[in-house]
Amino acid sequence: MDCRVALGMIEAKADGLLPREAEGELAAHLAGCPACAAEDAAISATGPALRALAGIRAMEKRPALDAMWTRVRAGIEEGRAARRRPSWIARWAWIPVAAALAVLALLFYPAGTDRSPFHPSSFDVAVEDVESDVATVALVDKGEDLPRVIWIIEDAKT
Amino acid sequence: MPRRKPKARLVGPTLPFLALLLALLAAVPCEAADTVSVDVGAIYASNEGTSIDPALGTIRGKLRSMFNYTSYRMLDRKRRSLSVGETGEFDLPGQRTMRATPLPSQGDKVRLSIQISEGPRMLLTTTLGLRRGGMVLVGGPSHQAGVLILIISAE
Repeated sequence: MDCRVALGMIEAKADGLLPREAEGELAAHLAGCPACAAEDAAISATGPALRALAGIRAMEKRPALDAMWTRVRAGIEEGRAARRRPSWIARWAWIPVAAALAVLALLFYPAGTDRSPFHPSSFDVAVEDVESDVATVALVDKGEDLPRVIWIIEDAKT
Repeated sequence: MPRRKPKARLVGPTLPFLALLLALLAAVPCEAADTVSVDVGAIYASNEGTSIDPALGTIRGKLRSMFNYTSYRMLDRKRRSLSVGETGEFDLPGQRTMRATPLPSQGDKVRLSIQISEGPRMLLTTTLGLRRGGMVLVGGPSHQAGVLILIISAE
């Protein structure tokens, strides 16, 4: 094999492009050619050296890269927050709406109807007179802490 | 740039709202001392079920201890502000009507003339003397499978 062809195959091997069937042919040439063998050894050592160097550079730049990524992330978050934050008008728009609803409730609330629970303050009631045209009426008094009851008895139904 | 404190941001826009609310409350007419607010609740008492209407408030337990019914449901409740001598009419369940007229009284007492009728039939005519905030029950008229109990209070 010609040394020029061998050098091309050595470079192809370093790049991982050498066909498997050519590997034996190259190995046979390298065994008999110290100059090509030395070139192969030198080129084979270059790859790991470059990778190590790249790793070292990356380690050196890591703090700067971290800081840059932090700034980028903060910028993204701020942009999102600005989009989420409603404007002053949108934030307080509920106030006039609530006021309008309160006014409507006051205007249209049925004044004669009340569903608030009964909370009487006194059961002190004087019954001055009581009568019925069609029923018997009984006055029931079960004590000061219970309301007085006027009971209408219609035809002994109740 | 210094940011405004959240409290300051809240107070600023809330003040006009509070002012509006106060103006509305001031616009609601207050009850004069010579008017009586008559409150009438119509309760359907029966032995159908065991539910007691929460709207009955503190008198739920009293109703249970006074009557033998298992269920108390408020069918209707109406409140009227009446001047002395003014008659207010309250429609009751079962084509019945209650008429209430505040009568002249002294101090914190309220006197009420009450008439309950069922069509042409006068079921009850009574005159009551209550303290403001006082309450009396009128019961007995049959209604569906039970009876009607009226809670009458005056303030």
